[in-house]
This record gives sequence, structure tokens and C-alpha cells, in this order.
Amino acid sequence: MADLFPPLVTAQIDDKPKVDEKVDYSNLPCPVPYEELHREAYMSLKPDTFEGLRFDFTKGLNQKFGLCHSVMMGPTEVPSQSPDTVIKIPTAHYEFGANYIDPKLMLVGRVMTDGRQSARVRADLTDKLMVKANAQLANEPHMSQAMFNFDYMGSDYRAQLQFGNNALVGANYIQSVTPRLSLGGEVFWVGVPRKSGIGYAARYETDKMVASGQVASTGLMAMNYVQKVSDKVSLATDFMYNYFSREAVASVGYDYMLRQSRVRGKIDSNGVASALLEERLSMGLNFLMSAELDHKKKDYKFGFGLTVG
Amino acid sequence: MAKRIGGAGKSGGGDSNILARISNSEIVSQGRRAAGDAVGVSKKLIWSTGKAAWIAGTTFLILVVPLIIEMDREAQLNELDLQQASLLGAPASPAQRGM
Repeated sequence: MADLFPPLVTAQIDDKPKVDEKVDYSNLPCPVPYEELHREAYMSLKPDTFEGLRFDFTKGLNQKFGLCHSVMMGPTEVPSQSPDTVIKIPTAHYEFGANYIDPKLMLVGRVMTDGRQSARVRADLTDKLMVKANAQLANEPHMSQAMFNFDYMGSDYRAQLQFGNNALVGANYIQSVTPRLSLGGEVFWVGVPRKSGIGYAARYETDKMVASGQVASTGLMAMNYVQKVSDKVSLATDFMYNYFSREAVASVGYDYMLRQSRVRGKIDSNGVASALLEERLSMGLNFLMSAELDHKKKDYKFGFGLTVG
Repeated sequence: MAKRIGGAGKSGGGDSNILARISNSEIVSQGRRAAGDAVGVSKKLIWSTGKAAWIAGTTFLILVVPLIIEMDREAQLNELDLQQASLLGAPASPAQRGM
């Protein structure tokens, strides 16, 4: 069953040539964008679990234009001093949004009752050059953010330049080395606090599995592996290690895409088990249930929701 | 394992009767200590088995039960499709599949 929540930025489809004996190195496929290296793994391992009630109503007015209303009620976590206790404050808000989706231009805007607004723009300037912008405005001072990305897609490589507020500048590049392996790297520089970083990433994929790894100078090392057991079932595992603070987290998850439902579950080495169930009650009506148990902190979160349209 | 520490238990108390002598003896007090330890250890064992059972049970409930329910529904749907296919002689179209 296709994604019930299609990503707001659709990835470019890379067409793999059929496997033949000789590799044509001058005709390699275009790699996956750098920020979507871990896409398959994070689809299973980071389902968006939520707490409380969630109701989304999307109404399409046109082929390209649609409005959406959503209501979210539930406790939100507030960061507390000690890591053992969690402070939750019940909140409720309504969000109104408008989407304009065209093959060449995509505009998405959202406004919430607590004063936050967000906007996303994605435009294909030419065949190969794409501009993305993302902004979030909030009522509190110094909480607004904006980010602009310029993406260039070559025949077997992709390059991206990023500018954000707080003087953030970044660039990344990924290249297909063989039909299955692609390697990439990124550099970034942040003005406040003055930091710069460099990172490397690699991704190997076949029809049945995807393995990827990433190392960054901020101390992060992540590796993950996804096995597509069949076209309905995929299993994923992930390992994250911070070599400055010497903390490691491993997790295992599954993703079952059945005809009328989609079940995702994951268990963690921090003692967190979470699951998300999306069930199709009838055409255009989806029922969501989410659960997250944190056995170490004894924090249990459950949510349910309905998505119409 | 029973260490005899100089026979200290037996000679305490003069002409106490045999029961008092037995219950004050070394072996019996060691046995009592061992029984107390055993009770303490088994309480801890039951407590930690209970905790483990709780964690395993709730995790199983969250991770496995929805999956079993959905797989069951999928199997029912497949059976229905198979029946319809054998009845009508053609696979059921997606429009007919509803609730």
C-alpha cells in the first residue's frame, strides 16, 4: 500500500538499469539526495508517534490546490532539569494550511492558533536545478528559522548548497560510484556558535537490501541496514554512536505494508518500544493509533487519530 | 559447609532442656540464617521475574498484537478474494473490495 503520508518533498526517482554482466561506468544512475540517504531505514525506524488526539482533514479544491485543517490535542513535553522526570503540559491547537502542488512548483503554508507559521517552497528552476526554501516563524523572539537550499542534479551526482539564518552555510555532494554504491560528503559552518563540521556518507543498495553509513565530525556515527523481505514486509536495524560522549543506541524495527493497513514497530536499546498502526477504514478515511513505551523512564505515550482525505 | 566454631552454642545455659539446647545450637542458627537468605533471594527473584514479565508482556502487546490482528484480517481478505475469484471466475476488482 503506498505511503499514506507522502513526503512533502518528493525524491527524484533513480532508475536502475537491469543487472548485466558488464558495468557501464559512464552511464551510472543518479543517486538519492544526500538528506534521503537513510530514507528507507528511517521510514521503519522513526515512525511519527504522537500523544493525544490528532485529526487531519484535507480537502482538494482543484487538481493542484488543497486546504487542510488539523486539530491536535494532547500533552507536550517540556524539557526538565533532571533527565529522569518528564514534565508534560496539556495543549491543544488547530492548524490551517494550504497546499499548491504542481510538478514544477510546490508551495505549502501552515498557520497555527498559537501563532506559529511555517512555509515551504520547492521550485524546479530548470531541469537540473531546484530551489527549496523552508521558514518557520514563532511568536517568541529568536525562535524563527529559515533555510534555503539550491540543488543541482547531474547525470550521476548531486550537489547541494544550503543557507540558513544564524549564519548557517552548508554544502553536500553525492556521487554514484557503481550502479549500487554511492558515496558523498558534506561540510557546514555555523555562525552562532562558531562551529564547522565535515561528514562522509556511503550507501549501498540492491533490490533486496539497502545499507548506509554516515560519519560526521560532530561526533555522530550512524549505520543502518534495511532488508526487504518481500514487497509487503521490510525489516530494518540501526546503530548510532557518538564518539565524543561514548553513547551508543541500537534499534530494530519492522514495517508491514498490507492492503488495508500499515503497521510499524521498533524496539530500542534504551528500552523504548514504539508502534504505529494506520488502518484504512474506507476510501479516504484512515485511522491511526500510536504507542510508545519507555521502560527506563516509565513514560508511556498513547495517541489516536483520524485522517480524512 | 557447616563450620563448627568451638562448639559455642551447645554449652550456653546450664541445665536447659534438650529443646532449648537444640534451638540454640550452631547448626540451627545457621539453618535459620540460610532460610532467611533463601526467602530474601526468592523474594527478589519473584520481584525481578515479575518486572521482566511486565516489560515483556507490555512490549509484546504493543509490538506483536496489532501485527497479528492485521495479518489475520489480511488473510481473511485474501480468502474472500479467492472465494470470489472461484465463484465468478475472475479476480475481484479493487472497487468491489470495501468493508
